[in-house]
Amino acid sequence: MPTLLDVQRAIYRSLAEREDDPAAAYIIADGLTAAARLSIYRNTFVGSLTTALRLSYPAVHRLVGAEFFEGAAANFIEQHIPRRACLDDYGAEFADFLECFAPAAGLPYLPGVARLEWAVNVALHVREVDALDLGRLATAEAMHHERIILVLHPSVGLVHDAHPIDAIWRAVLAQDDVAMAAIDLDSGPVWLLVSRGKTGVEVTRISKVAWRFTSALRAERPLQAVLDAVPDAASSAILADHLARGRLVDFRTIANADAAS
Amino acid sequence: MAMRCADDPIPARAGIGLRFQHHQAVLDSRPDVAWLEVHTENYIGGGTSVRYLEAIRPDYPISLHGVGLSLGSAQGLDAAHLDCIKHVVGWVEPALVSEHLSWSTVSGRYLADLLPLPMTEEALYVLCRHVDQFQTCLRRQILIENPSSYLRFRHSTIPEWEFLAAVARRTGCGILCDVNNIYVSACNHGCQPSTYLAALPPASIGEIHLAGHTVRQLDGGRVLRIDDHGSPVVPEVWALYVEALSRFGPVPTLIEWDTNVPALDVLLGEAARADALLEHASVRGRHADAA
Repeated sequence: MPTLLDVQRAIYRSLAEREDDPAAAYIIADGLTAAARLSIYRNTFVGSLTTALRLSYPAVHRLVGAEFFEGAAANFIEQHIPRRACLDDYGAEFADFLECFAPAAGLPYLPGVARLEWAVNVALHVREVDALDLGRLATAEAMHHERIILVLHPSVGLVHDAHPIDAIWRAVLAQDDVAMAAIDLDSGPVWLLVSRGKTGVEVTRISKVAWRFTSALRAERPLQAVLDAVPDAASSAILADHLARGRLVDFRTIANADAAS
Repeated sequence: MAMRCADDPIPARAGIGLRFQHHQAVLDSRPDVAWLEVHTENYIGGGTSVRYLEAIRPDYPISLHGVGLSLGSAQGLDAAHLDCIKHVVGWVEPALVSEHLSWSTVSGRYLADLLPLPMTEEALYVLCRHVDQFQTCLRRQILIENPSSYLRFRHSTIPEWEFLAAVARRTGCGILCDVNNIYVSACNHGCQPSTYLAALPPASIGEIHLAGHTVRQLDGGRVLRIDDHGSPVVPEVWALYVEALSRFGPVPTLIEWDTNVPALDVLLGEAARADALLEHASVRGRHADAA
């Protein structure tokens, strides 16, 4: 008699790897083959994950249409079985997958739109965190910049692309054909900041300098290293903007030895 | 509508599944429905859904219905997922918490479905240990729901209804009796749904689920019923619900609708129909008591 684990491993092979024989040996056919019975569960498995991807990537779905999307999703799911039962977290690698998905090779902006949508998805679902109390920050100002790490709100995401993916994303979701037709794919690269504010998730075009500065903050590098990443004149304005919009939530100090390294 | 207390029990009336398509409509119209049920896993993170539920929950008792803990996994519960559920239970303060008699995770991979267990003493032992662990973690009773199924294992030795009753007896958990699932599984496997209902201990029934299902025609004239929660409750399931109420008395009853989600009024109409049957069962119970 198979153990419970034998059965569960066999069903995994059927649903995730399309190898029905091990599970079929344990199943009563009763007028319908074991493979047909397993396919009902596989349909739900693939369908649930496809729906999760469609909810996280609505613009990609609209851009390519349902049939292409479902085909791409099926390929993606074969390579990426979820590790967690929370499907809001499923599909982080979809942009990287699209980058290598041959049928999408003629749509060079598609991975970028997916990358933006994932950043929006993350911003939508992270837990609420209070903005940094400015009174607390005043105590940090007395410390050496080499020893302070400023912490960004977990909703803050940064996306960079060679195409105007934010304009494509907005036009597609608004179903604005006029705006879509006016998009110039060769208009140059965009540096985007995604964050969740009081009114919802915002996608903002920022300068390359602000993007580099915020990237260094996001990597939780010491404040001095963050400041060194951009010209002096720019840094205070960028930092003030992050503070004013509640994008900084905490700071911590590091030991001298860590700062030196 | 009066504010409720966090520990208000769910009344023996009809509730509806709150899905994201109806967040704004429920917030705006505060419909006259006795309670709401949400999927626990949709509120593990933060953001819009959580903000809606925070705004809605002061006015309705909430039932948290989990779909991802995988109580039947041979390799144990995911401690991180259990912590997430505990966090959600902490802030929602639900009147009911439920999960399924099924599994969905093996070797650290989540198969995104409520998969059937072989009905064996080994599976019963594993499931009971995990129900104990879940109840100990939350420090409260949970309900376990019978799933719909499309296959049976050759080595199963216990009828599902006896298996479910044994879980309730051994762990002290309650039972979420999904009447539609009983009907679907009974039709798919050639059993009598009344046999299933008769085997369940009435005192353990904490909630009933009602939902729609589809019928797939197979070669040779056979049909397979698929539990997809995407249509109205069928007449045969309403009839089985009446039988369930006659056995169990009035029990909080949920209208579940997860695919092809219709307008809120459609759900409320189904809930009103369940409410009428619950009221009838309640009156019949009072007459029986008086006699």
